[in-house]
Amino acid sequence: MLACSSYCYSEEVFDVTQNAAAAGLNWTMQNVLPKQAGLTVSNVIYRYTTVKQTEDDMIVYVQNQNAQDTGFVFRETDDWSGIPGNTINKVVPVGNIPGELWGDGSIEVKGFGEVTNPAVFYSFQFDPCFDPQSNPSCPGYKDPFDMMLEAIDVYDPLDDQYVQDELNRKASLKDEDEELRQQRRAMAEGKKENRLEAVLSIVNTALLTAEAQAQAAELIAMNFIPKSYYQAIPDNKYEEKVVLDGGNIPDNRNGRRVGLAQQLLHDQMVDSQYNKENK
Amino acid sequence: MFKKSLAIAATLIGMNAVAEEVTITGTVASKCVVVTDTVGIYGNPTPSELSTATADGGVEPIVRFDVLQASFYKARITYPISFSESPALTDVVNWTGNVSVAEVTDASMSAYDTSKIEFDNVTEVDLTVAGSTWFKVESTADYGATKAFPAGTYRAVVSADCIAL
Repeated sequence: MLACSSYCYSEEVFDVTQNAAAAGLNWTMQNVLPKQAGLTVSNVIYRYTTVKQTEDDMIVYVQNQNAQDTGFVFRETDDWSGIPGNTINKVVPVGNIPGELWGDGSIEVKGFGEVTNPAVFYSFQFDPCFDPQSNPSCPGYKDPFDMMLEAIDVYDPLDDQYVQDELNRKASLKDEDEELRQQRRAMAEGKKENRLEAVLSIVNTALLTAEAQAQAAELIAMNFIPKSYYQAIPDNKYEEKVVLDGGNIPDNRNGRRVGLAQQLLHDQMVDSQYNKENK
Repeated sequence: MFKKSLAIAATLIGMNAVAEEVTITGTVASKCVVVTDTVGIYGNPTPSELSTATADGGVEPIVRFDVLQASFYKARITYPISFSESPALTDVVNWTGNVSVAEVTDASMSAYDTSKIEFDNVTEVDLTVAGSTWFKVESTADYGATKAFPAGTYRAVVSADCIAL
């Protein structure tokens, strides 16, 4: 009782199947053994009656094919040769063979004689908590949601070596581009400064002489720089200032008049073709 | 001479002091078990007959012999030749019977039917195969010369013994 107190809900279940040979000398095990994980068959119990002449040879096989291999997972032989027919009632221990190995069963007769009233039973056992997830009361049961979370393998592409290599390559290219861009910008600014310096110097010096002024104007013309380079464009927000008085926009009467005139003209044009035929 | 007598006496005393008795205990459990499988019932097909045959409305008694070790025992079964309980009978009862193998746990036990020894109302079978053998007993009682059995309860006894060879 003490041992039972903590493991009662996971005690093994022992049971016996219905008569597998109730419908004949061949049977399908899928219809005999319950579909229970961890099920094992411990005994085969069979009974049948032989009808034969004493002097005849007769061998009876009670057997089950191996569902996962060739041959038989169970085969019991009864040799009735030279002895009177009788009823045999046999219990054959098989030593806990897993249920999935038990293929289709049969009673096979070799020789002369007949088997009547066959009955084959399988005693089996299984642990209801063989799969702890089958019942929340089973020891080792885990919440399915937690299991699902455990089962999800989070893949971070950034952990991938190839992706990382590609990112590094792009980063290095970007750095190179940035350097090039900075170099170009620096060169452009240098040119602009050079131009401004040149212009300013020209302006200052051009004021000195008319000849110099003409030369400066020519230089400025050669080095035209748009104003937008120097003046900032205002970024003000232009609010809507038009207010609709009364909220009602009446139809344009002049427009209606024009539309009416166009309709009349259209009607005249359509009618003219008929008038032409009438004429 | 005295000294010799003393010496002998001392030796005798010494021998008595070291004597000890040791007990050996052993238990033998029978390797042959006899069990009543089915209790018989007499049918009464005619007023003058009592029969265990199914066709006569009776039930044949069945006795099982479980032998753990082959060829160490024999079964001795006797069908009844008298009533253990009955109303007062004024005429002779003719008894017939038979013992045969009804079921086996090994096909070779079926040979008991051919190897059995019968004498009087006794059937003896050497149990040469380990396992269980069911023996059924047929019993018929005919009263007088087609005389009706008096009303009442009738009992008879089948005896089944497992005898060590």
